[in-house]
Order: sequence, then structure tokens, then C-alpha cells
Amino acid sequence: MVDGKAQKVQEDRPLRKHETGNPILTCDGQGLARLLEAGTAWLERHADAINSLNVFPVPDGDTGTNMLLTMQATLEEIANSPENSVSAVAHTAAHGALMGARGNSGVILSQILRGVARSLDKKDEFNASEFASAMTEATATAYKGVIKPVEGTILTVVREATEATVTAAAEEEDLRLVLEKVVNAAKESVARTPSLLQVLAEAGVVDAGGQGLFIILEGMLRYIRGETVEVDFALETAVDLHVPSEDEYGYDVQFIIQGQDLNLEEIRDTIAAMGESTLVVGDSATIKVHIHTEEPGTPLNYGAGIGSLSKITVENLQEQYQEFILSHAQPSVALSVTSEEVCDIATVVVAQGPGLARVFESLGASAVVPGGQTMNPSTEELLKAAENLRTDQVIILPNNSNIILAAQQAQKLSEKNICIVPTRTIPQGVSALLAFNYQADLDTNARVMERAAGEVQTIEITIATRSVHLNGLDVKKGEVIGLLNDTLTASGSSPKQVIEEVLRQMKAEEYEIITVYYGENVIQGEAEALAAKISQDYPEQEIELVNGGQPHYPYIISAE
Amino acid sequence: MTEKTSLGKIEVSPTAIASLASRAVLESYGVVGMSSRSLGSGLAELLRRDFHKRGIEVRLEGNEIIIDLYVIIEYGTRISAVVHNIMSNVKFSVEKSLGVPVAEVNVHVRGLRVSSED
Repeated sequence: MVDGKAQKVQEDRPLRKHETGNPILTCDGQGLARLLEAGTAWLERHADAINSLNVFPVPDGDTGTNMLLTMQATLEEIANSPENSVSAVAHTAAHGALMGARGNSGVILSQILRGVARSLDKKDEFNASEFASAMTEATATAYKGVIKPVEGTILTVVREATEATVTAAAEEEDLRLVLEKVVNAAKESVARTPSLLQVLAEAGVVDAGGQGLFIILEGMLRYIRGETVEVDFALETAVDLHVPSEDEYGYDVQFIIQGQDLNLEEIRDTIAAMGESTLVVGDSATIKVHIHTEEPGTPLNYGAGIGSLSKITVENLQEQYQEFILSHAQPSVALSVTSEEVCDIATVVVAQGPGLARVFESLGASAVVPGGQTMNPSTEELLKAAENLRTDQVIILPNNSNIILAAQQAQKLSEKNICIVPTRTIPQGVSALLAFNYQADLDTNARVMERAAGEVQTIEITIATRSVHLNGLDVKKGEVIGLLNDTLTASGSSPKQVIEEVLRQMKAEEYEIITVYYGENVIQGEAEALAAKISQDYPEQEIELVNGGQPHYPYIISAE
Repeated sequence: MTEKTSLGKIEVSPTAIASLASRAVLESYGVVGMSSRSLGSGLAELLRRDFHKRGIEVRLEGNEIIIDLYVIIEYGTRISAVVHNIMSNVKFSVEKSLGVPVAEVNVHVRGLRVSSED
């Protein structure tokens, strides 16, 4: 799709240069499709800048992304449409926008396209005056969707741009000249938004949604003029390759500070001194901060000192740069779709050994903190793992009774909403994570996961580090011991003998699946032999063998 | 909803919270009306401006604010996106005004308004 567009523009460019004097009087369905593509490509280029303007109605910095996703959904719908009538393309586009609408501005954008489609119904092409009618209908449709329209937003911009269209269409027949006036009017309208909406003036920004609409219109104008819209064109990236300067080898840090009586000016000055490309917008209660810095901790610590932080993201710029290079090295990339969070709850899991970490990662753990028996992670490590995640809701699985306390401290220190599912063993953690439901909320998940963890039996096999008399057993130092659900129940000279004993105590024949995780010092063949022996003893049960690579415990076995 | 400060007690009534929520709902794009919660879904009505608060229910459970909204949405908008916007608008503006977290914003779509033929 993009390739086709790039070609189209390049083919068209010399033609259009010669045609500069010839007016464009009408636009057909394919013409409209190209205009929408150009608007979207131009929007893609500016989406990040638009995101950073977003302070109204909720300062969550996603307006540009939402509008882009809405426009991309629109393009996908019309991408393969061979239709030549402007009516068909407009209706298809409106349908795509409706289905893909995201966020406030995305919904409004879909209404604008709906109005355009309605006005162009049954038309094969449109001229200047029909374009004015379409814009008029777009504005009417957009305003119909809200009881109390807030001025100083995208609504104002579409209305004022429409007024300009009507005036221009009465004087001009050339769509190029009309669109030129429309774009100028939209630009001026955007510039006025802070005088209409106080929250924008306080933050020192223009309205993000309005700016987005202006950018889309400007992209269309650039296309119709034969100028490039630059995004994703192999030709352009070769010239316009972004070369990072020294400071961009650092981190991109974004967060929102919430507090009371925040001094925006003072905060802006302080943050500005901490790095490059700083952006500090907001009001006395909520401030969005964006900065490029070598030391991501400095602005975060400062922010945490004056209010509570949320929506924290820290990204490695060098990594981003590499990804940028990679993605542009492939000429056939489609318009990139911003990755969406699949779920707004993340899980932090404590596990030791590469095999176990892999097991948890494959089950969807968001972060694995190394640690376990004799190597408990600190509260700070857990806190850092939770804070580094993109989501505000986090579930921690400590997987060891000694780590639950540290997890609880991390829970208290964090601004995020953290739930601890008190898993005491690795198998409990695995069962809990398997029970995780992407669609359920945090509390429900915590409850379901805790219940799942309680249903699994855990056997841990290790070596006694000292002689002890416990639970009626005499254990000598160096002997193999078996723990059933954290309680010492068997000892012996070989792991095999102890495992058989504990499986008997547990009544393994009553369970369905027995999973054996073998540790770092166990040879694979040895583990396979053990699994075969268990399988022989318990023919009804399914036996799974996993290379856990965990230290200290030659074997961890679960039954459920 | 009460809060103790060194100077005395601050008390915010559910009605006051409903007013805050009302403003945010009415400014939310896609909402074209509120419906009285006492009516069944089949009888949803567009409430007059003064009666918008009838479509808003504010409950205080312990110190948690739970807001239920009964709304009419413009036909032809993406309802999931509109509802999501309402939730975040209401939560943000109530929290911003009160400085107290809102635990839940539940949106009940009681009807769609068809304003013209497509």
C-alpha cells in the first residue's frame, strides 16, 4: 500500500509541476483515497508531537496516536477498494473510521468522515462547492454528537475550517486553491484554541485534536500540490535519516506528576536543566513531563519528591534508534501500527535459573526478577521491576515464603496498584500464572490466582545444610531431604529414593499431572530416567519434564 | 465523603459529586442524553438539561466513590470508544476537583439516538 503510494507520488510529481497552472476542478473516489492516505502519512509524521500537546479532556498524551490509529483503520478499509465513485470511497472510509475509532478525537474524526460520506452520497466526484457542502455536513454531524460542545477543540477547528471552505468555494473553482484556504483557516483556528479553552492556555499548548485535524488537511494539501508527505518513502528516509546526537544515546523518560499547587514554571525550569528535548505541560494538579536524559532516575526522583507519579515510561533511545534503522531498512513496511498493550495488568515473578525464567516468560510474565532460596531479591529490586512496567496494575508472585515480606514492602512504596499473590513455591507460581485472565480486573485475578496456587502440591528436593531433628525425622548434614509444601517430610541418601517416598506421602495417584523441574546440577539423562521411573509407578498420571536450571534444588516437582 | 484536616472536616455530598460528573458527561463526545435510571431500557428518555442528574448515581462505599451513569449515545459512533472516553473524562475531572480517587465509573448505555439517515 505504502509502496504504491510512494510510486504514485513520484510519478505524479513531475506531472503536477507542469500542471501548476491548470486548476484541479474535480476529485473522484481514487482521488479521495489518495488524499486520505496523504493526510494519514502526514499525521503519522506528527503523531508524537500531537501526543505531547494532549492536556484536554484528560492529559494522557495519546491524541496523536488515537487519531492515527483511527485514520489507519480508515485506510485499511479503502486500501483495496477498486471503486471509482467518491460516494463509495467516502462511505467505506467512514465505516473504517467508525470501526477503528479510538479516543475522543478519533470518535469525532469518524463523525466528520460520516458527515462527508453522507453529503457525497450517490456522487461520482466532487467539485469545490460540493466539497464545501461536505465540510458543512461534517461539522453538523460532528456537533450533533455532543450535548455541550467544548470550544477550543477539534470541533472549533472543523467548524472554522468549514466556514473558510464555504467562503473559498464561492470564489474559487480550483480545489487546490480552496484547500489552501481551508488549511490556512485551520491553522489559524488551532492557534486560537488556547484563548477559547483555559486549560490549554495554562499549559501553554494548542489543542491536540485540532492540531491533528489541521495536520491531516495539510497532508492532503501537500499531496494535491505535488509535495511529498515524506513518511515511509524510501527516497525520503535516505535523505532525512535521523542521526542521533550525543545526548540521544540516553533515555527517553515520560511520566505524569499529580499533586496539589504544583508550580508549573518552577518544575519546567528544573526539568529543563536535567536533559534535552524537555516538554513540561499541565496545570497545578497534573503535569506531564517528557525528557531525554542520561540519568532517568534524576527527573523521576525529582517528580516523586513533589507529587505522585503515574504513566511512567523509560525507553532506551539508542535501542529506539536501532529499531528505527531496522524498520526503515525494509522498504516494504506497511504504515506502522503502534503496538497496543494487550492487557493493563502486568505480572512480576521471582524465579531463579534460566530455565524457570523461560517457563514464566512463556506463560506471559511481564518481568522475571532473579532470586529464590538463599538469594532473596531486595524490596528495591521488586519495586524497580514493578515501576518499570508500563501498566499501573501489577501482580507480584514471590514464589518463596521468604520473599513475600519484601513484596509487601514494595507494594507499600509503589505508586502503582500492586497485588501480591502469596505463592510460596515455583509450582504455585506457575499455577497462579496459568490462571491469569487478561480480561478480568486486578482483584479478581489476584483471587483466582491465589486459589489456583492453593490447589497445587509442591515437592522440593534439596540437600540438608546441617544435621537436624525435625518432624520426627533425623536428618544428617549432606543427606537428601524432601519437602512437601514447605514441610520436611522425608530424607534419604538419593534424590530418587526421597522423591518416591514423598510422592507416596502425597498420594500422587490422586492427581493428574506431575511436572518435574530439574536443577542446574542435574544431568538431563538422570532426570529422564527419574521421569521414566515415576511414569512407571504412576501410569495413570501424565509426567512432564522441564529443565528449570534452578540452583540449590536438584528437583522441584508439582502435582495438580 | 468526608476528609479531616487540621482546620476541620470537609464533607462532599454525593449530589455535589454528581454535579461534577454531570458536567464531564455532558462534555463527553458521543453522549447525546441521559436516561433516568428508574426507567427500563425500553423506556429510555432524553432528559431535559436540568434533569441530567437523574441519570447519575453516586454511591460511597467506605471511602470509595462509585459512579453509575445512564446515557444515550449518538447512533453511528463507536460505542466502546465513546464509553471508554466517558469513563476517563468523568474519572479525571472528578478526581481533579476532589483530589480523591474514584473507584469505579460504570456506564450504562440506555439507548441510541438516530439523528439522521445514513
